[in-house]
Amino acid sequence: MPKRIDRSTFLKGAIGCAAAVVSAEISYRWLRQPEPIPGQLRGPSVALGHRLRDGELADIPVESEPLRSTVVIVGGGIAGLSAAWWLDKQGCSDYVLLELEDEVGGNSCSGANSISKYPWGAHYVPLANSESRYVHMLFEELRIIQGHNSSGLPVYNELYLCHEPQERLFKDGAFQEGMVPRRGLQGEDKKQIARFFEIIKSFRQATGADGKPAFAIPLDLSSGDEQWIQLDNLSFSQWLQDNKFDAKPLFWYLNYCCRDDYGSTIERVSAWAGLHYFAGRRGVAANAELNSVVTWPEGNGFLVEKLKEQANGRVIASAAVTKIETVDGGAVITYFDSKTNRQHVVNSKYVIFATPRFLAPHIIAGYSAEAAHHPCYAPWMVANIIIKHIPASGTVSLCWDNVSYTSKSLGYVVANHQDITTREGEKVVTYYYPLSDEDPVAARRRLLSMSGHKWSEFIVEDLTSMHPGIDSEILSIEFCPWGHGMVSPTVGFIWGQGRSSMKKNYGNIFFANSDMSGMSNFEEAQYQGITAASNVLEQLTTT
Amino acid sequence: MTYALLITAFVISTCGLVYELIAGTVASYLLGDSVTQFSTVIGVYLFSMGIGSFLSKYIKKNLVLTFIRVELLVGAVGGSSAALLFLLFNQVESFRVLLYCIVAVIGILIGLEIPLLMRILKERLDFTELVSKVFTFDYVGALIASLLFPLVLVPHLGLVRSSFLFGLLNTMVAVWTIRLFKSELPWLSLLYSFAIAVAGVLVCGFVFSEQLTSWAESTAYPDPIILSTSTPYQRILITNSGKDIRLFLNGNLQFSSRDEYRYHEALVHPVTAAMHSLHNVLVLGGGDGMAVRELLKYPSIKSIVLVDLDRKMTNMFKEQALLSRLNNRSLSASRVSIITDDAFVWLRRCTQRFDLAIVDFPDPSNFSLGKLYSQTFYKTLKTVLNRDGAVVVQSTSPYYAKNSYWCVVDTLKSAGFQTLPYHAYVPSFGDWGYVIGTLSTFTPASQYPPGLRYVNSATFAQMLTFAPDMLPTTHVVNRLNNQALVHLFESEWGEYAEAH
Repeated sequence: MPKRIDRSTFLKGAIGCAAAVVSAEISYRWLRQPEPIPGQLRGPSVALGHRLRDGELADIPVESEPLRSTVVIVGGGIAGLSAAWWLDKQGCSDYVLLELEDEVGGNSCSGANSISKYPWGAHYVPLANSESRYVHMLFEELRIIQGHNSSGLPVYNELYLCHEPQERLFKDGAFQEGMVPRRGLQGEDKKQIARFFEIIKSFRQATGADGKPAFAIPLDLSSGDEQWIQLDNLSFSQWLQDNKFDAKPLFWYLNYCCRDDYGSTIERVSAWAGLHYFAGRRGVAANAELNSVVTWPEGNGFLVEKLKEQANGRVIASAAVTKIETVDGGAVITYFDSKTNRQHVVNSKYVIFATPRFLAPHIIAGYSAEAAHHPCYAPWMVANIIIKHIPASGTVSLCWDNVSYTSKSLGYVVANHQDITTREGEKVVTYYYPLSDEDPVAARRRLLSMSGHKWSEFIVEDLTSMHPGIDSEILSIEFCPWGHGMVSPTVGFIWGQGRSSMKKNYGNIFFANSDMSGMSNFEEAQYQGITAASNVLEQLTTT
Repeated sequence: MTYALLITAFVISTCGLVYELIAGTVASYLLGDSVTQFSTVIGVYLFSMGIGSFLSKYIKKNLVLTFIRVELLVGAVGGSSAALLFLLFNQVESFRVLLYCIVAVIGILIGLEIPLLMRILKERLDFTELVSKVFTFDYVGALIASLLFPLVLVPHLGLVRSSFLFGLLNTMVAVWTIRLFKSELPWLSLLYSFAIAVAGVLVCGFVFSEQLTSWAESTAYPDPIILSTSTPYQRILITNSGKDIRLFLNGNLQFSSRDEYRYHEALVHPVTAAMHSLHNVLVLGGGDGMAVRELLKYPSIKSIVLVDLDRKMTNMFKEQALLSRLNNRSLSASRVSIITDDAFVWLRRCTQRFDLAIVDFPDPSNFSLGKLYSQTFYKTLKTVLNRDGAVVVQSTSPYYAKNSYWCVVDTLKSAGFQTLPYHAYVPSFGDWGYVIGTLSTFTPASQYPPGLRYVNSATFAQMLTFAPDMLPTTHVVNRLNNQALVHLFESEWGEYAEAH
């Protein structure tokens, strides 16, 4: 009689075999443990900002000799730089621009490594609408628009127009061209997507009773007609429901767009803002399709650099403004030089306050009462990643913008996509992740409390779901957590009380920031900067 | 002995599943579309196992001997399966037939194993025990294989070596069985030597798997490879059959020394001979120095600037005797200066002016090459030309890719050039297209340099006519922001590749 194998012996054996395989794998991995991916945390001067908020800088003695300037611009993002550009254009060169960070740029700041320049935030501008007068002016000055064809259409510099292939979406296990879902759709999904774009097509041409376009860029030029304005009082998801939309792929796409441009979801964003994203873009070019964009390796850092050159000599960086007091006929601005640890005072006639407004109560004496109307700011994580080689997936080539249908992030943008080299080398990709799942305050806490190591793990795992095996190709990751990444156009903000009260000046202090539009993008920031500068200039000529 | 045989069941089922996974993976690598490859491989494999099981009833006697033979055969065929598939991929007419044949052979043999083993064990266990134990070990083996394959074998050993390793395991099972039953078996020494021979082949395969894979590459080229090297930008490979030297970049034929004179004479002379003022010439691409060789036939040219991406390429064609003989040592001529740079990047910084530019880039087969055929590129090129300057662009085949060819013509025209399209027959390429772009009116040359073998006034006149099957069906300008040419090129050459 042969020996019986009893159950426990069998189980032990089976478990033993499985354990042997698993432990062999673990020990092999342990033996050749990959070098941890070098990660580095950078970011807006959060610590300095908090010292400023908590009044810790107040006790440092002030340099005795105050500076004097007609205009002081606080904040060197696109709004502040555009204000400076406009002041120069109108012949007022007596200004200084105070920037908290070591470099100007704000949300459009950028970095560089040996492979490429890369953005830390805003990274493209759509073709300018005909009403976007200031954008046209700047683009022509910078030769981004090189001229006009016989029918008057602007000819863009094709080195700056986003090169093909532009967008791909990872859905159902493979990449498809373009961002609107096409893989695995039901007939009804397709019908609804088509119907949505039909509506957008008519909204693009729609005007109000006042003759203004329903959706304009800058948005202050939009029609004030109640028919359109009332769309601001309901959420985008509510509008979709009211219009009998329920296709999941369409919702995914619209939610993706809202998170991309507003850092927030279709449930929080107003219908007016959600529709503006699509119907607002009417820019045309002689040599590009509708919906094209201009972009650079360093993103909108390209525009920052050009505007900075213009303001040459009047930019003071590493300058944390600690206090602004309005006095008779002007304002007294105190700033802390974080390089030298000294405080300075500037006496000016006017201030253009071009930082996000949530900072105003901490800086402007007596302003706190106005803070009640402040908008929501979405927290973002942006990472720049050097990748040796992005594995090929199927027949769809690497694009400028690469997105996954299932990821919580917005995917990644290839910074060196616009290169005109034929050398296939390392890629620098910018990874965007708005923390839009939870309430902004909780999300902000999570953003800032998670360690670089944890973020690195999160990002590598996310990229691996699109590109298996990419972890071994990653050479380095650099992070930038943006606590107050961008303003969100929540229900009722754009056309409500909140925003109109933000536009009012405070004594001789004029405000300029894209948060006064409720949308964080180049056109709005530029418009607000120029509007503030025009108001200052008007005051200067009347007094 | 019972245990020994049950462990055998475990090993053979592990090996069996590993072969199946290897075949599926190799097929996915080589043919793409992994879902189809895996489903069809698994289907054919399982069905073949059924055939094997069916056939097992015809084996009436010598059960152990047959089992050992089957094991050795599985070891030999299964063990070398990955290597065979890789090696024969370039050799056979229909790879799929070969793939499913190999999968079927392994499947039938594996299908024979378990029934044979059960009949061998029949005397030692009662039926209930027998079925329970054999299948238990069989399925546990399958689990182990399915874990080992993705976690350990593929990442650390690779497919070819994994397959040889498992072939060896099968052979070891055979040897072990011979030892267990040595009292009952005939021709012991013959069986042993057969097993050792199989094991020897598999060990050699395992050790020399690297060489095997590189040999597999070389079989893709008909002639002996005399040089192959990888630069950061491309894979350069040169074959020499004695009479014919061929250059391949990334697997694409760049020239054959038998007829490259046709290609390069047609590229250079029609425009160069027609120039009124000809002192400074720019050559973009063309690191093989052949276009420069043709240019050096014009004494009026004072300087030739060659811009190529790859220093290794220009150095080879400058310094290696066999290659520099092909270009008449043109790259060492005093009138020639060589610049290693990206053409587009270099052009944008260039402050020199040229009378003529010869543009000889690889075909626009990807998006980064497509940028070198864009309107912006030609506009940039225009800025380095003198007022009466001219360019000539190699522009793929107007026969195989007619819309791609005419897209280059249209793009050059849209950048402000007057264009003159023409084409020539180069046997190793087929009908090939070029386009001359000029900034003033072009008059064909009445005289060509002496000693040309292909181009003269009469042949050039012929080159200007296009047959109806070479005329375009669409017109589009290639821009950086539409890459229309790459899309056209992919679809046109793709069609051709599928049809042949």
